[in-house]
Amino acid sequence: MRILVSWLREIVPVPVGIDDLAEALTRHGFEVSSVDPAPEIPGRPAAGPDAVLDLEITTNRPDCLSVLGIAREVAAIYANPLRWPPLAEPPAANAEVAVTIEEAGAAACPRYASSLADVRVAPSPAWMAARLEAAGVRPINGVVDVTNYVMLELGHPMHAFDLDRLAGAELRVRPARPAETVRTLDGETRALGDDMLVIADAERAQAVAGVMGGADSEVTGATARVALESAWFDPISVRRTSRRLALSTDASYRFERGADIDAPVRAMRRAHALLAEIGAGAPRGGIADCYPAPRTPTTVALRHARIGRVLGIDVAPDFVPVILERLGFRIETGPDEAGAPTWRVTAPGHRVDVHREIDLIEEVARHHGYHRLPSTFPPLRRPPAAPADSLERRRLLRRVLTAGGCSEAITYGFIEEAAGRPFVAGGDELVRLANPLSETYAVLRPALLPGLVDALVYNRRRGRRDIRLFEIGRRFSAAAGETPGVAVVVAGSAAPEHWGDGQRWRTGDRGGRVPPADFYDLAGIVERLLDALGVAPAFAAPAGAGPAWFVPGRSAVVQASAPGEGTLVTLGHAGQLEPAVAAARGLPAGSGAIHAAELDLDAVVRAGGDRRRLVASPPPRFPAIVRDIAIAVERTLPAAAVRETIRAVAPDSLVAVRAFDRYEGPGIGEGQVSLAFRLTFRRGDRTLTDAEVQRTMREIGTALRTTHQATFR
Amino acid sequence: MAPLATVEDVRAAFAAGLRDVASPADLQELRNRFLGRKRGAVTALLRSVAEASPDERRELGRQANALKQEIEQALAARREASAADAPTAGDDGRHSPTEKPAAAEGSAGAEVARGSGVHDRISGRGAPAAPLSSAVLDVTLPGREVRVGHRHPLTAVREEIEEIFTGLGFEVVEGPEVEDDYHNFEALNMPPEHPARDMQDTLYLDAPLRTRSDRPGTLLRTHTSGVQIRYMETHEPPVRIIAPGVVYRRDTPDLTHSPMFQQVEGLLVDEDVTMTDLKGTLECFLQRLFTPDTQVMFRPSFFPYTEPSAEVFMSCVFCRGDGCAVCKRTGWLEVLGSGMVHPAVLEAVGYDSERLTGWAFGVGIDRLAILKYRVQDIRAFYENDLQLLEQFPL
Repeated sequence: MRILVSWLREIVPVPVGIDDLAEALTRHGFEVSSVDPAPEIPGRPAAGPDAVLDLEITTNRPDCLSVLGIAREVAAIYANPLRWPPLAEPPAANAEVAVTIEEAGAAACPRYASSLADVRVAPSPAWMAARLEAAGVRPINGVVDVTNYVMLELGHPMHAFDLDRLAGAELRVRPARPAETVRTLDGETRALGDDMLVIADAERAQAVAGVMGGADSEVTGATARVALESAWFDPISVRRTSRRLALSTDASYRFERGADIDAPVRAMRRAHALLAEIGAGAPRGGIADCYPAPRTPTTVALRHARIGRVLGIDVAPDFVPVILERLGFRIETGPDEAGAPTWRVTAPGHRVDVHREIDLIEEVARHHGYHRLPSTFPPLRRPPAAPADSLERRRLLRRVLTAGGCSEAITYGFIEEAAGRPFVAGGDELVRLANPLSETYAVLRPALLPGLVDALVYNRRRGRRDIRLFEIGRRFSAAAGETPGVAVVVAGSAAPEHWGDGQRWRTGDRGGRVPPADFYDLAGIVERLLDALGVAPAFAAPAGAGPAWFVPGRSAVVQASAPGEGTLVTLGHAGQLEPAVAAARGLPAGSGAIHAAELDLDAVVRAGGDRRRLVASPPPRFPAIVRDIAIAVERTLPAAAVRETIRAVAPDSLVAVRAFDRYEGPGIGEGQVSLAFRLTFRRGDRTLTDAEVQRTMREIGTALRTTHQATFR
Repeated sequence: MAPLATVEDVRAAFAAGLRDVASPADLQELRNRFLGRKRGAVTALLRSVAEASPDERRELGRQANALKQEIEQALAARREASAADAPTAGDDGRHSPTEKPAAAEGSAGAEVARGSGVHDRISGRGAPAAPLSSAVLDVTLPGREVRVGHRHPLTAVREEIEEIFTGLGFEVVEGPEVEDDYHNFEALNMPPEHPARDMQDTLYLDAPLRTRSDRPGTLLRTHTSGVQIRYMETHEPPVRIIAPGVVYRRDTPDLTHSPMFQQVEGLLVDEDVTMTDLKGTLECFLQRLFTPDTQVMFRPSFFPYTEPSAEVFMSCVFCRGDGCAVCKRTGWLEVLGSGMVHPAVLEAVGYDSERLTGWAFGVGIDRLAILKYRVQDIRAFYENDLQLLEQFPL
């Protein structure tokens, strides 16, 4: 809202300079976002320093979308009286335009005032045009300018119809008819809906109520008689219509926030006075005020004690009625309550924001001054709850993943459809936005991986080779709804390059000094993070080719057994990303393999133990015996199968089985693979003997030969 | 007869000798000098044990034996190292597939002993040690990099905020990102067609999404206030919570806007909660997050869910209040929205709005991170450039 200070001075004295005025308004809740030099107003020399203040008016204070509204606040701040702009005495004669508010339109238009005027349409005088322009409104002609001037000055929107272009010289306030259209002043033909209110003549809609007038009854140079409208339209109806038509105007902006229902006649009288002042016309007949069910003003009880309880300060009891009266409220003193005064406060029509006591407490706080509030600290009345498990878990996850060399990414929850499409599981669907900002943000992410892949590509294109990123966040799918997940992507080398490593790798065939990260680097990270959450994972080959976003044969289903249940549940997947997926997101050729994993955190949590129930076991007191075995088996046999066979045969003294080598090639039979395992035996109650371990090893050997046709090497 | 060398003298002499070893022949010579059956220094030491007084005998024996073991291990380690100095062709670092089973590794006790003693003091690292020819290290070469990742800067700030408020007795609660209209707007005193809904341009779903509550989700939450409503719906007062999380607005990305950003909202509901408590708490929060001399200023504002409402400014972190380009010469930066919980909000969750009062605030974590780390562009947080991420504390 742009306010010309010299216009403001016509209505209220401004006893301070421009900067102080701006500061005072800001401190009272009307932020002055800029102070611009005032234009010269011909014939209305400023009586003091002038400027145009650009004010941010919050949505609860539509009454301040006018010079008068700001003047009321200034009057209250500096304890000065308001000087009302001149209003014309309404002529006594009857109006000659028939106004009907149809029943279906009564709720959206409880009051409609109108009058007729004979006009001489000409440009308005320079002072009026200059003031309109200073406020940001384009001058059109004397009649239209008067209606706009009244809106800027008093805050009440008005409209003028060319009476001779209205069929039947009558106005009907009614909902639009099915398939009805109206050409609005901006030249657009608008299709109306039956929940929109129009002002019509005997035949058709001539204005969209509270939003914009129609072009067919626009005031032009040829107009001789006008019907002036000064009405009150329901905020919800105007807002809905304005949104549906995607048409926001100065009028709709005010009506949808709430105009003053007591203002229509006053505004009309001001318009008559201005028409006379600029010689643009004179009313013919009186003001027809159609207001069948006048509203009762809002009266609210206000307790001094409550002000203190909310604000935490003791406001002087005398201050309360004084400031509210200055703001235009009517005060009656009520009975004291527990020794503190109370009041009955009636809100003026323009204070549409005041419904209950708290609204008045705000007024008291605003004018008492927020800067006078001291700082206190709220007492703690009961012990705070322990931090939520989910929060602790995520912090733990971050610790583990960052310790594992992965940096945290935060990517957008909405993505391009093309980025999300490859990650949609069979039978599921993407969740689309109805009003996305652009195609780049059209769907909610079905997984965290699309965002992480994009982040990886971003870094790769900036020359980074070693990239390890993770994200913890929500995923969205039509089938599963919103679920929490954690995802990891790994690209580049398996370990940081070091000058001392040349000796180790210089004769290798891996091309670099350090080998590239592979599936097992990723698997190690996944194992570590699950271990931190108390989950013992099992990696299994997926049934079929596995998720489409992985290279077939190079991904795993990550599973775990839920506590108390024998069956394995799926936590997520890990594998080598299908190169085409990353290439489609712009990964430069030759970037090497990307390995990626994504887990469902809800499933992980269900499979995990309660870390707080951890019971320490003492370090083993007796030495362990370690034995290695190497066997050759069918190439397709998973290491897990061998491991299970060993475990099934061995006694409890077998505390660890770990594969430490896999080899195929010269020296190993066709279609065979050599697997080597390190077995650790230990008992908690005594030292094991070589002989008993030897016996176990023989039994294991027999089992492996029988079950897997293993040959020992 | 020359006075008998002490255990320490012999240890030092051996260490010096080991440093000068340059060939396997040197190593053999060193071995003879110390462990030789006839003239070995350690051998002599062990013989002297018998001649020591009964009091000293036991201790000297233990020390001499320990030294002998140390020297044996150091010599063995050095021999291994010189063998490893010439890598075999085709060795890609894997264990040989022909490794024999049943290679006992000995007891845990033996493994511990390997980590201490002369060899370690001299080479500075565990086995395998440097080759014989480079016994002297170039200590100016870089160490082997330990690869660690970094938390996202927004997480770092979020966790710091969570810690501050946890310390002030607040509980951290979370909720869904896909919300229903009731929890995002209506329960917050924003009925349908309320003009304040324009303050937060909302992203809507094309079709309702099923959620864990009985109301399907229809929009992306524009603030985390819905979390507070859910909490009050299921908890009796007093309420003392913060709700951090991701929120979405239909804002075109630019220097200061991102259509997704992180927010923390706080809520305190109790008997006798006042606006001065709000000011004191926010002052404490901002002083801890920034600097203890941070000043806080309240200005009247409007939010449908709080009344009276206040915009909260803090003294500019760049110019310390003197006025600069960032604070537009005002010395103040707007950082928060806050106010006393509107009674209608308390009533919507079935609380007694007469007995209880409360306050709430909301703050953008991105905005705080921008001020704290002086990041120029909010979009940088969502690019996830490792060159940015790696600058932030672990």
